Amino acid sequence: MPRNGSREGSAFHGLGVVTLKELSDHFASARMRVLEWLVVLVALAAVYGAIQQIRAVTAEDPFLFLRLFTTAREPLPSFTAFLGFLVPLMAIGLGFDAVNGEHNRRTLSRILSQPIYRDALLFGKFLAGMATMSISLVALWLLVIGLGLITLGVPPGGEEMGRALCFLLVTIAYAGVWLALAMLFSVTFRSPATAALVTLGLWLFVTLIWPALAPAIAQALLPNGDEATLVITAQALSRLSPSTLYAESVLAILHPATRSLGPVYVSQLQGALMGSPLPLWDSLMVAWPQIVGLIAGSIILFVGGYVAFQRQEVRA
Amino acid sequence: MNAPTPNPVTANGQPHLGNVIEAKGLTKRYGETIAVNDITFNVGAGEIFGLLGPNGAGKTTTILMLLGLSDISAGQARVFGHDPMRDPLSVKRRVGYLPDTVGFYDNLSAADNLHYTARLMGMAREERFRKIAAALNRVGLSEVANKKVGAFSRGMRQRLGLAEIVMKDARIAILDEPTNGLDPQASLELLELIRGFKADGISVVISSHLLDRVQSICDRVALFNAGRIALLGTVGELGRQVLGGGYAVEVEADGGVNLAKRLSALPGVRHVSEPAAGRFRIVCDSDLRAEAAGEVVAGGGRLTQLSLDRPSLETIYTRYFQTAQSPNQDASREVPHAA
Amino acid sequence: MKYRYPALAVSLCVAMAAFSAASYAADGASPDVKGLYLLSDYPAISVQAGTTTTVNLKLRNYDMAPQRLALSVSGVPKGWTATLLGGGQPIEAAMPASDDSVSLALRLDVPKDAGVGSHTLTVSADGATSHISLPVAVTLAKQLPAKLSVSSQLPELRGSSKSDFEYTFTIKNDSGQKLLVSLAAQAPRNFDTAFTQAYGSQQLTAIPVEAGKTKDVKLKVTPPDNVDAGHYPVTVKVAADDASADAKVALDISGQPKLSLAGRDGLLSARATAGKDSTVPVTVTNDGTAPAENIKLSGTAPSGWKVTFQPKVVERIAPNQHVDVQATITPPSQAIAGDYVTTLNASTHGENGTANFRVSVTTSTVWGIAGAGIIGAALLIMVGAVARFGRR
Repeated sequence: MPRNGSREGSAFHGLGVVTLKELSDHFASARMRVLEWLVVLVALAAVYGAIQQIRAVTAEDPFLFLRLFTTAREPLPSFTAFLGFLVPLMAIGLGFDAVNGEHNRRTLSRILSQPIYRDALLFGKFLAGMATMSISLVALWLLVIGLGLITLGVPPGGEEMGRALCFLLVTIAYAGVWLALAMLFSVTFRSPATAALVTLGLWLFVTLIWPALAPAIAQALLPNGDEATLVITAQALSRLSPSTLYAESVLAILHPATRSLGPVYVSQLQGALMGSPLPLWDSLMVAWPQIVGLIAGSIILFVGGYVAFQRQEVRA
Repeated sequence: MNAPTPNPVTANGQPHLGNVIEAKGLTKRYGETIAVNDITFNVGAGEIFGLLGPNGAGKTTTILMLLGLSDISAGQARVFGHDPMRDPLSVKRRVGYLPDTVGFYDNLSAADNLHYTARLMGMAREERFRKIAAALNRVGLSEVANKKVGAFSRGMRQRLGLAEIVMKDARIAILDEPTNGLDPQASLELLELIRGFKADGISVVISSHLLDRVQSICDRVALFNAGRIALLGTVGELGRQVLGGGYAVEVEADGGVNLAKRLSALPGVRHVSEPAAGRFRIVCDSDLRAEAAGEVVAGGGRLTQLSLDRPSLETIYTRYFQTAQSPNQDASREVPHAA
Repeated sequence: MKYRYPALAVSLCVAMAAFSAASYAADGASPDVKGLYLLSDYPAISVQAGTTTTVNLKLRNYDMAPQRLALSVSGVPKGWTATLLGGGQPIEAAMPASDDSVSLALRLDVPKDAGVGSHTLTVSADGATSHISLPVAVTLAKQLPAKLSVSSQLPELRGSSKSDFEYTFTIKNDSGQKLLVSLAAQAPRNFDTAFTQAYGSQQLTAIPVEAGKTKDVKLKVTPPDNVDAGHYPVTVKVAADDASADAKVALDISGQPKLSLAGRDGLLSARATAGKDSTVPVTVTNDGTAPAENIKLSGTAPSGWKVTFQPKVVERIAPNQHVDVQATITPPSQAIAGDYVTTLNASTHGENGTANFRVSVTTSTVWGIAGAGIIGAALLIMVGAVARFGRR
């Protein structure tokens, strides 16, 4: 691939057109509609459960509003647990046939023969996917907050809103990881079905199996390690999973009393006022490595897909 | 209609005036395999140029290199003087491309599909609507403009692809296997549209493995074989070169004296044979029907039938490889530029 | 025994005064004596003008039949009131049984304007057969020796408002009889006073003192905590029957420094970053009444923390003044974010001011910047990928 640097014109010429087109495709597609209804219904069920639970246990809580997101009522999991599960599904649904779909419809070479570079196509698709996820999640978020306002009758405080907003942004970053992964596989696998299966399989693996597997792997890697080392290693391993990163950052952001996401030595807790909430900024600092992992992970995965796509031949 | 002289790019590499596409030594390698091997050709303005050959001969790869959609391993290409490697956007702005079995977004209407590409070209809204309507009208798809493309037949999709090129105001249309998979009627309609392009002064590069179907509209053809251009020139030139003459006039006559000798004496006649009594086949350099008829009548014969056989590309291609392969496997090298 | 002793003294006294034999015989209990006698231990007394004096008398019947005796007092100077009392009541007559006696008392109310000089009053008891009288010489004296006195060895003590002031008093009974001396102290408002025995903790309000003896009592004065420095007098009053005495003591309260600590604007919270020095402005205030000197500043924090002050020692803070110092709080670098309690101390002699600071620990932003750097690196990789593979 020589002489690329000397090519003329902007790599992102036509980016906006592609983004808008993909965005409107997403919102018009039956697939997205099904996913959105699924997410909305399930999320509302979770929030309804949370509201019932909060009303039943009317404790004085300075972060009552955040409980909307985190409270679970048997048998339903909490709103955040649902999102941790459904956001990847939505993102994969948006991305798994992004590139191979164009190949299969035989639209790719026709579109690329227009005066744009293929950079614009992939970036546009990613941006449109992110925008779709963001719009859906913002709508869902507003819905939950509105429900909370109506049913709880308490306006959320500024700090609570800040935390809820950070939670929203982290969720979008989490969606970005899965969207980038799905798009990477949509580039590498020519068949959308294969890409979808591989991505979903990977999702199930890192979400359900990997966290359970991590301690065993840590044990295998360090047969003579002491307890603390094993715990730390297992945690480090489980953090390879974006689901773990997401769950941890949500924990730190929505539970202000969370001081650390790792193992803590007793000596570090001496003199500590337990249960006192951290300021938002400190909570963010606690979750910052996880947030960085999510953002950087989605960028790197996207770059992987991008490089693979750029190196691919246009013709099938 | 005289085809422009099929001359290669001038020695100093400057684009020849009147050539819209110039390819010199164009080569494409995929690792060890060579998909396109050192091909050189030009396409003149307003010309219909055929890239003909069997599947896998390197036609599509050549087209992709011309569009800048595939890297050029060696050699160079110029489209309107633009290097597709350096300035693909300028190339793609002027060139309309109809890929092999073109695809559209099935969930969008014909017009919306064109709107999308028009926006990618950066066309203003008003211009877009005007041009799309005109283009759809030209290819006869006005009535289904707002129908979803998912319901379109193969032929309609191909025509929609042409509409895109029309809308684009392309100065070159590159059509990859446009008649592939079409029924004869649809093929004819499509070829008619392509002829219309030529009438508008648009240069057309058409690739096909169906030699005979496109031969009729091509001004010049390049015959591909295994990544090389085996033959290049007008169909007549190729016929002359491969078959020993471009035209075959068949004369049937009753009676007459020494007709074979008389006909052989005509200027431009290469060979006269008499497959059956009173039936003569004259291989000649040009259309000699009138002269042949004159000779038959002058020889006292009664002309019963007079016909002209244009050389068939199929025949030329087959014959070429039959003859070329026996002495030398790599025969194409000897006649890279037929004229 | 108790009777014999004063009897001996009386006999001595009689002998020296060359008094009548009757007086002598009164207590002599001699079987030879017969008849009625009017007796007094001290038939000549000194009194002070404006006071009331009682002279104890005794009507004795030696081996005689009881008879009614009318009592009277003659020779009473003008303006004086002489009343004969018996059993606490004014009486007109007495009737001693055979070989028995009746106690009488002559109460003399001497007016204030009575002139100096001697008077002789005669107490007479007239019966059917006998007439007896007893002259009582009353000398008006300007000053009489005290009957009760109280004195303090250390009448003035110095101390802080927090110290106890203990005064030891010696109460002397100069009267001729045993006295039950009541104790009272007059102190300024809100001062606590308590009398105790010299060696004991029992609180007292009165103490018996034998005639001519002394007794020590202790007075403990506790000033209120917030008392200003100054000189506070306390008057101790001892009183018994007709005698009283007082003594003045004083508390010289020197005042007390009182230290308190607070952050700027009174805040008791601070922010700190893990592994980094955080400077917390601290104000040390002396709310006390005396200057605080040589104040040492220190801090108590969870292990691994470092708390230092700049300056470590403050020379002097005058009352109601404050001094700004800098506390440097360094949580350990592996401290996790959140609130911790740190106690800051300011101590001087006997006075200690503490404040619990709530320190909010923020983890170092270095990691935040590192994280942003990682995201930046990822973006750089993307930019690099676009430069390397872009525009195709």
